Parts: sequence; C-alpha cells; structure tokens
Amino acid sequence: MLSYEGGVSWRGRRLRIVVLMLCGLLAAGGVAADAGDSFSINGFGTLGAVRTTTDDVEFVRDLSQARGATDHWTAKTDSVLGLQANWQVNPQWQAVAQVLSRYRYDRTFRPEMAWAFVKYDPSPNISLRAGRLGTEFFMLADSRWVGYSILTVRPPGDYFWHLPFYSIHGADAALALPLGEGVLRGKVFYGLSRGLIPLAREQWDIRRSPMAGTYLEYQWGGLQVRASYANIRFRNDLPLASVLAREKGVVLPAVAADYLKTRGTRTHYYSLGMVYDKGPFQAQLMLNHIDQGTNALSDSNAGYLLLGYRLGEVTPFVGYSRVRSRNIANPSLGNAAADAVATYVIEDSRAEQSTVFAGARWDVARNVAIKAQWDGIRGESSSLFPYRKDERARWGGRMDVFSVSMDFIF
Amino acid sequence: MFRPLIKALIILFAFLGAGVASAELVVIVNARSGVAAMTRNEVINIFFGRNRQFFNGVEARPVDLEDDDPVRARFYRLLVGKELSEINAYWSRQVFTGRMQAPLRLGSTEEIVRWVAANPGGIGFVELPRADARVRVVYELRR
Repeated sequence: MLSYEGGVSWRGRRLRIVVLMLCGLLAAGGVAADAGDSFSINGFGTLGAVRTTTDDVEFVRDLSQARGATDHWTAKTDSVLGLQANWQVNPQWQAVAQVLSRYRYDRTFRPEMAWAFVKYDPSPNISLRAGRLGTEFFMLADSRWVGYSILTVRPPGDYFWHLPFYSIHGADAALALPLGEGVLRGKVFYGLSRGLIPLAREQWDIRRSPMAGTYLEYQWGGLQVRASYANIRFRNDLPLASVLAREKGVVLPAVAADYLKTRGTRTHYYSLGMVYDKGPFQAQLMLNHIDQGTNALSDSNAGYLLLGYRLGEVTPFVGYSRVRSRNIANPSLGNAAADAVATYVIEDSRAEQSTVFAGARWDVARNVAIKAQWDGIRGESSSLFPYRKDERARWGGRMDVFSVSMDFIF
Repeated sequence: MFRPLIKALIILFAFLGAGVASAELVVIVNARSGVAAMTRNEVINIFFGRNRQFFNGVEARPVDLEDDDPVRARFYRLLVGKELSEINAYWSRQVFTGRMQAPLRLGSTEEIVRWVAANPGGIGFVELPRADARVRVVYELRR
C-alpha cells in the first residue's frame, strides 16, 4: 500500500554511494594489496515462532514492525536471515556489507542493506568507520537480530522495543586503552538516521534525522560496565493527521498538531549497562532513561536483569524487565476538542508494565542453538505504546508470550 | 598373550598423553616481540580482541584453531571457563555488528608455532612440548 521509495536502500543513489566507496577503497588498497588481503562471507539467522494469550493487542519485537503476534503462532516476529561480506584489504583497511531480511515497517521481509561501510584502523587500538553503520544506542543494540549471540529468544522488550533505530549514514570512532588489567573503550558516532516507523497504516519518516551518541566502557576480566548517551533530532512530524482521519475519522486541530509536533524536537537517551560473564554464569543489568523532546511521546525509565547458568549444553535463564512512563503531557489548549485529540495521542505513548521471563538455550549442534521462552507481561491497561493494533477498550495489560526459536550462524 | 602388548600400549598412550594429548597448554609469542610474560587478563584481552597491542606497542595478531581441534575447546575452558558455543556466540556479535573480525584460524598447533615464529606480533596457544626456541612462552594455563 505504501511505496517503497527511500526506505529500501540498495537501489539507486545509495547503491551508487556504496559502489563509489568500495571503488575508493579499491584504489586505496590497491597500492598495498599484499598478504593479509582476505574476503569472507558469513551469515546468521533465526527461525522463530511466537504466540501470545490475547488478540487485544499485537506483540512486536520492536516498534519497527508494523504488525505483531496474537494468540496464533506466527513466524514473522522473530525470523531473520543476514548475510555479511567482509573484505580485509590490508591490516588497516576493511570493507563490510550486510544484507538483512526480517519483518519490517512495510509488512514485508524485503531484504535491505543493513550496513555498508569502510573501516580504517590507523593504529591497532583506534578504529574509524564511515558509511552505513549500526548504532549502539544502548549496549547490545546493534546485535539485536543476531539471535545466536544472545541467551534469550529476543532482547528484553521492555528495554528495547522503543528503539526502532538501527542504522545511520555517518561515521564513528572508537578508541581502546589498556588500563590496569582491563581495557577502557570509548566511542563517538554521528550521522543521519535511516528508517521508517510504522504508525497504524502510515509511517513516521525518521530518515535524515541527525543522530549523535557516545559511550564509555570498562572491561575487566568477566565484568563489563558501560555508560552511554545518544540523541536524535527529528526531522519530521508524526503522521498524526492522516492516521486520525483514517482510523478514527477525527480531524486533528491545528493547535493540537502544533502541541504534538516532533519536527525539530530532540530526544535524549541515557543508559547504564553491566554485564558479568564468567565461566558458566552470566548476568546482565541494564537501565535506561529516555527524555523526549516532544509532547506526543512520554519520557520513560526502563531496565532489566537477566541471569543465566550453563549446565552442559543447556543454559536456563530467568529475567525481569520493566518500563514506566514519566512526565506524561497534560494538554491545555483552550479548546476541548483539541485537548481530547491530543490526550488520545499522548495516551498511545504510555508504557506501564513489568515482565518476568524464563527459558533455556540449548546448544544442540555446532553453531546452532534452540531456545524456548515464556514471558509473563503484567501491566496496566494504559500500557499501549509497546504494541500494535491495540483494542483499548478490551486490553487489560496482561499477557503471556510463548516463543521457540532456532538460531544459527555460518 | 596380548597382555604385554596391551600393557605396552597403555604405557605408550600414557606417555603420549602426558606429552601432547593432554599436555599443559601455553600461550606463545614471537621470540622477537619483546614480550616476556603476560597475566591471564592480558591474554584474555588479546584473544577476545579487546586490546590489539602488547604493552610495548607492537600490534598483537592472535591466531586460533578450528572448532574440531580439541585443543581449542580445552584452551577456552582453561582460560575463561567457556564452551566453544559461547566463544562462537561472542564472535558472532563482534563480526555481525562490524566491530571486528575473529582471529585467523589455523589447522593445528604445529601450524600455530610456525605462524607465530613467522609473524612479529603473532600470539597463539599450543601444547607445552611444541613450544620450541622459535617462540617464547608467556603464559601457562593452569586449572
């Protein structure tokens, strides 16, 4: 129903940019194309099935998905296939491109170029990248689709689903510094966001919204601690007028539109992450705070704790996550109709829920893992933001989610 | 009548076992790297790609083994108490986020010795008896 014009990436202008980049790399590397030149192709994937215990709302992996799971099993939420080409030109220069197929904003599995960048390491502990890059908004945010790399079926939703951002056109720089017996690592990134976020049958265009971020982490033995900050300045408004007209037959008053504008507003993301991973034991504790610049979306605090213990080839895990909205806007626009519409929109961005989850990962064969997981989501009926297609009148805020998956790398 | 033969075989295997199959594992570097000894955490930092330099600034170039070589599983079990599935999961995260590539994989510890001897920044793990004069032992893996 919607055209695929710029969301898809590997055609047209952007492909030419990538090709130009690769040609530049060829020219740069051609001089020193000696030993060390290597080319490899690797991949990863997940076959997953998920169902919930309700059809009042649809359960999604994150807000980049237009439709989600209900009380019927579906494979679209978690299934993914990725293919990556790495070309190490010489010890300093590398080119990477990754194609990813997963269920996305336009309700298709249309493959897209997830990353395409060149990497230059002027010295062993400094890394510079430019091109289409994954963003580490929060710790582990750029490996969310690599199911094999994580213990759970999917990253804890209460923490990650408000992160529909995956990549930027930009650059980043990372520096590692041995300090004591550990390593201090810092990174900065800047770029223009990519992507479209589904909103009912419309999409919120966040392309070309400038994004910047940084983190600092210390890793010592099995312990890793990271503090990070990022922000995005939205370039476009939410498509509220058309969504309200289409879904509700409501006209968005001009004062409400102005009150709910996202264009030109800046949202800040703060997070603190701790991973302890030693022997058979692993633990993750993550906390985040999101400070929204727009009235349309409420601020939030979220966090999760995950504990796992490996017993032979099976690793049972348990966890707890929660999210709470803060500073929910209370419109007073001097016009009852405008207030009602604005309030309706604002309520849609509330998240008030906790989740207990438990499951197991079974490393059944080399580079293949099978997982099963239960999530018990216990929230308020006002918790609407995490879901799609919500039936506000019926939704009670509670559901159970059952998931199975097979993750592999090759 | 086979008893003496079996006995001899048992002794031979015990000897071989002590010599190579379950020999102590050591971390070796190139003899000219200027590195004399490393701590466990320094070894972990290098093999997991967190730090890519030795203390003296020489670029560290770790080499690893294929999954089907039992020495690989033993090395990571002794170093960090992790199974190969966990090591491979770690590297899948590094590779598929584009952060870095996993170390070069070689076919045997014999090849590791040769590779480390030929590369100034080379660092690998082998059974103690394989470590000869071309390389230097910088860390011994103990339980």
